[in-house]
Amino acid sequence: MSGTYAIETTGLSKAYGRVLAVDSVSLQVVPGEIYGFVGLNGAGKTTTIRALLGMIRPTAGSVRMLGHAVTPGARGPWHRVGHLVEKPAAYPELTVRENLEIARRLHAVSSAHAVSRVVERMGLTSEADRRAGVLSTGNLQRLALARALLHEPELLILDEPANGLDPAGVVEIRQLLVALARDQGVTVFMSSHILPEVGRLATRVGIIHKGRLLEEFDARRLEEVQALRLEVETRDLRAAAAVLTEAGYAVSWQSGEGEIVLREPRAVNAPDEVATLLVNKGTAPMRLAVVHEDLEAHFLRLTGGTQ
Amino acid sequence: MSAFRSAFWAELLKARRSRLFLLTLVALSIVPVTGGLFMFILQDPGRALAMGLITAKAQMIAGTADWPTFFQVILLGIAIGGAIVFAFIATWVFGREFADRTAKELLALPVQRHTIVAAKFALIAIWILTVILVVFVIALAVGMVVDLPGWSAQLALSSLGSLMSVAVLTYLLIPAVALVASAGRGYLPPLAWAVLTIVLAQIAGITGWGGWFPWYVPALFASLGEPRLQAVPLHSYVVVLVAFIAGAAGTLAWWRSADHTR
Repeated sequence: MSGTYAIETTGLSKAYGRVLAVDSVSLQVVPGEIYGFVGLNGAGKTTTIRALLGMIRPTAGSVRMLGHAVTPGARGPWHRVGHLVEKPAAYPELTVRENLEIARRLHAVSSAHAVSRVVERMGLTSEADRRAGVLSTGNLQRLALARALLHEPELLILDEPANGLDPAGVVEIRQLLVALARDQGVTVFMSSHILPEVGRLATRVGIIHKGRLLEEFDARRLEEVQALRLEVETRDLRAAAAVLTEAGYAVSWQSGEGEIVLREPRAVNAPDEVATLLVNKGTAPMRLAVVHEDLEAHFLRLTGGTQ
Repeated sequence: MSAFRSAFWAELLKARRSRLFLLTLVALSIVPVTGGLFMFILQDPGRALAMGLITAKAQMIAGTADWPTFFQVILLGIAIGGAIVFAFIATWVFGREFADRTAKELLALPVQRHTIVAAKFALIAIWILTVILVVFVIALAVGMVVDLPGWSAQLALSSLGSLMSVAVLTYLLIPAVALVASAGRGYLPPLAWAVLTIVLAQIAGITGWGGWFPWYVPALFASLGEPRLQAVPLHSYVVVLVAFIAGAAGTLAWWRSADHTR
């Protein structure tokens, strides 16, 4: 199957001393898809991305990218790959245009207009002749994205691309990436610690936790895999918990917590019945909400409650 | 060649936009200016006393105020000052990529890593060459202003040759600084390394082992009389060359194979 994937890792592991940052990660990214690589901070996302780009030597396993085996320092398919790793960085004493001009030459892009095109595309025209050292975090992120896109790569590897952007910027980048994948067949591998953000964009999602790839699923199934729960707030939680327990609900509540949580389908699918029960028993709810679990809760469930 | 040209162009642009180029020029220009001042005092200590340049009429430096002595003072100054200033240049050229976190932008490129490193070393060579030439021109101007006796074109040429030789010897020690800057990922480790080598060179010189210690060899070269190239023992050139090969190979290997986590 090798060669048919834009990215393929097999048993990829990376240890720093005794710490296993990435543990036997095997994943495949199909050309043209937007792969959301989701995990909490420190889950191993950036280490995986660095291994993909040949910046670190895997302790075990292998990486293939666009049909090439990736090893540190060796020739890779880098003229076909754009990347953004961790925090955006640029030479502070150089202007935006000069920073991009360096990237243009190092990527051997012959068109002298490539810089102007990408500056315009990333909304950096007004900043083009300003020194990178005085840019806002958001514009620095735009510069880093511009550098990743400058040579029109067929594979984009982006580490938290929405970092530092304002809400409008987040939407803009999301639309840009979707358009690149849809119109030009660009493959996007992007990491994020925000599951809903990835859900709006990715076609496939992989979840990494403590270095292990816990699950992969089609993004259309995102809501399915995120369990629903019913959150209940009343003035007297102890009394409400007793009422619900007496009615046969499995109540998740501990003294000191501000809400009762019910996870069983009977409660999640019929919150009106829960409300009626509580009202009839004199512990009327102040708030009743069916919510998707957040990423952290999802991890907790996947990992059996251990962070 | 095209990849190297691109990498060198990038390095040159960074250097041109940096204040460090001017700073290194100013720092080493102090050598001929101070040397000229010594010559001026030496010419007539009474005049220097009257002008307030010295507070006691004394023979401050051994030697006479002439072109050969002036060039010798400059040569020694560059041998010592160059060790510090050239180490600063290498520290900036390599260490800034880690301090500014831009190293990661140089690793997954069509231009290979060894080409980037080679471009950096080439930039440092050109930088040092430029600084030495400017220092020499300033020295000529200062010597003329002070109106030193004993000028000859042949002396000027051989002094320029000696200056270049000291610069080359010092340059050959630069890759070790580059390695420490890369492995240390920033500015402080290479600067600490530069200070350490200068201190150790002093100790090596005092104990009589200077000829075997690469970081003493430029000063040894500068301190000897003509013909210097022959006066320096062969093993001193060998240890400098070994330091160069070890530093350059180490830097290349580090950029190629180390885990780049910044």
